Amino acid sequence: MMSTEAEDRRRVSGAFGRLARRPESGSFIGMIFVYVFFAILGGKVFLGAPGFSSWLNTAAEVGIIALPVGLLMIAGELDLSVGSVIPAASLTVAIISGHHDAPEIIGILAGLCVGLLVGFVNGYLVTRTTIPSIIISIGTMFGVMGMTLGFTVMIAGSTGVFIVPDPVTKALLGQFVGGMFQVTMFWWAAFIVVVYYLLHISHYGNWIYALGGDRESARNAGIPTRRLTIGLFMLSGFAAAFVGVGQVLTYQSAQVLTGQAFIFNSIMCVVIGGVLLTGGAGSVVGIVFGTLTFSIVNQGIFFSGLDPNIGSVIIGALLLIAVLTNDSFRQMAQSYAAKREP
Amino acid sequence: MKLTNTFIAAATTVLMASTAMSADIFVIGGKPDDPFWSIVKRGAEDAGIVVEAQGGSVTWLGPQNYDNLGVDAAELIRQAIDQGADAVVGPNWVPEAMDPAFQAVVDAGIPLVIYNAGGIEAADRLGAMNYVGSNDYKGGVAAGEYLGNAGNLNGVCINTLPGAANIEAFCNGFIEGITNVGGEGTVLPLPATSFGSATAVAQAVRAHLLQNPEINAVFTIGNVDSNSAVSGIAQAGKTGQVKVCGMNFDESILNNIKTGSQACAIDQQGYHQGYLAVSILNGFVNYGLTVPTREILTGPGVIDASTVDATLAGVKAGTR
Repeated sequence: MMSTEAEDRRRVSGAFGRLARRPESGSFIGMIFVYVFFAILGGKVFLGAPGFSSWLNTAAEVGIIALPVGLLMIAGELDLSVGSVIPAASLTVAIISGHHDAPEIIGILAGLCVGLLVGFVNGYLVTRTTIPSIIISIGTMFGVMGMTLGFTVMIAGSTGVFIVPDPVTKALLGQFVGGMFQVTMFWWAAFIVVVYYLLHISHYGNWIYALGGDRESARNAGIPTRRLTIGLFMLSGFAAAFVGVGQVLTYQSAQVLTGQAFIFNSIMCVVIGGVLLTGGAGSVVGIVFGTLTFSIVNQGIFFSGLDPNIGSVIIGALLLIAVLTNDSFRQMAQSYAAKREP
Repeated sequence: MKLTNTFIAAATTVLMASTAMSADIFVIGGKPDDPFWSIVKRGAEDAGIVVEAQGGSVTWLGPQNYDNLGVDAAELIRQAIDQGADAVVGPNWVPEAMDPAFQAVVDAGIPLVIYNAGGIEAADRLGAMNYVGSNDYKGGVAAGEYLGNAGNLNGVCINTLPGAANIEAFCNGFIEGITNVGGEGTVLPLPATSFGSATAVAQAVRAHLLQNPEINAVFTIGNVDSNSAVSGIAQAGKTGQVKVCGMNFDESILNNIKTGSQACAIDQQGYHQGYLAVSILNGFVNYGLTVPTREILTGPGVIDASTVDATLAGVKAGTR
């Protein structure tokens, strides 16, 4: 009798330990924390569909970029160039299909190619030189920013270019479903599925973890580290370009001076999601929770009645709290799990 | 030696001829391919048609780039003096770098008009004849009064660049304007995480409107934000109830004004800056004509449904 009860408790807490040790558990708790915080302050409007869609719309765009940026961070790399790929892709679409009236599909494909190209350059330089990726991607960020400004002014004679998209394109990439849910969030869902498959089901996942754990050993184990790194950078360039394409079709205008906020925002989402800055650990579900946490905090400010003048302070503080909860929870879980070992 | 003498003589003759009866006016401005400055330049050139008919000329001096603006512009002012300008028009972008050059113009007895930047304070300080330009604060006032007079008396200024002096002036002006006509106004400063993201600005506008249902007027500080605000209002389901007015305009904003999703746009009317500054100086140099009104405001000009078609025609003609 006694022994069975102990056995039961042991099994239950064993399951709890396994759950708690999952990297996303901490970020899940952080997300619940900020949601409850703003739900109390924001009330009905925040809890209803308008509030819901408000932070989901924000989450979808930064989320699409945070996923591949997270993969890169798990692999031990950083990509800051995403911030300038967004306007570069937007303007490519606007110039080709808006300014020059070419079919939209050509503009969209060209915009996405800009992202792939910048990603390839990043990956190539990272694998062929010993310069850290943070420096290389700062370099490409400024390079792309300058070229975007230069070419836009040269071709269009202004820093903003306009486009009136076809109804079909608009419906696919720039529509608001029910007047409030930006169609981007369905694309985000698609990205989540693909990146989840890459990291957690396909063999690439283990390669990525191995790359972030120890690059030399990964190479020695026969992993094509160069190709893998270049591929990851191209994926993040593609995702940033995708967001840029979506933005220009949603707002029907592309401006040179956009996108920079996505650099820090995407890294914040990934780190809140429990990915280690040093690489080697993290999960897709964690990144998704991190993105939601970030967006809830960002949008929550406007529903909360807190002074928006100090909005940035609240964002900073709540994000730190979320990461701290996340970390201490992980440590607690790990030490608890360690004690359980026979 | 002889050749040099002839050359000097010829040069002197040219100078004499040009200073005798007609006005050679030098205009210092932005890069000619800058969209705003190309409009100012067009205004100066259109005024130049009269100047040329009266035997004078208008010369546009613009920097190659904006990397070293103050110093480059000061250099252009000195070039204008060296080339025998009868009158000079210039913006006081960087007073520290440009004031000594403007001072040299005044010391040489050349009539000077400050335009576009610096305000009447700069004109007074430098001893210039006049200032021709717009006023940021009054731009906000015009928007506030326009929306308030349309019956939208509860306004918010969306400040996407908190801390920038001209933007604060827009917002403060907007609050004064809407208060003048019996309404009230507040400022919504956005955090740095939303800078340059149309979605973040649209979602912020929408959240603020949902949380503060009494607000029915939105003022934005630039054309990009105006588009985001229109989207945010639509997503809040308040199209038609909440009116938007914004600083500056572009093609999509003019279309929004035409279709009614934006109420008005505020323009500093650069064409008038070039046109009026050159006309004033031409009249003064040729015939001693003066304009006693000090501080000639070219803006704020309000573009709304009643003037949008004329504005679109102006865009096509390169005057807006």
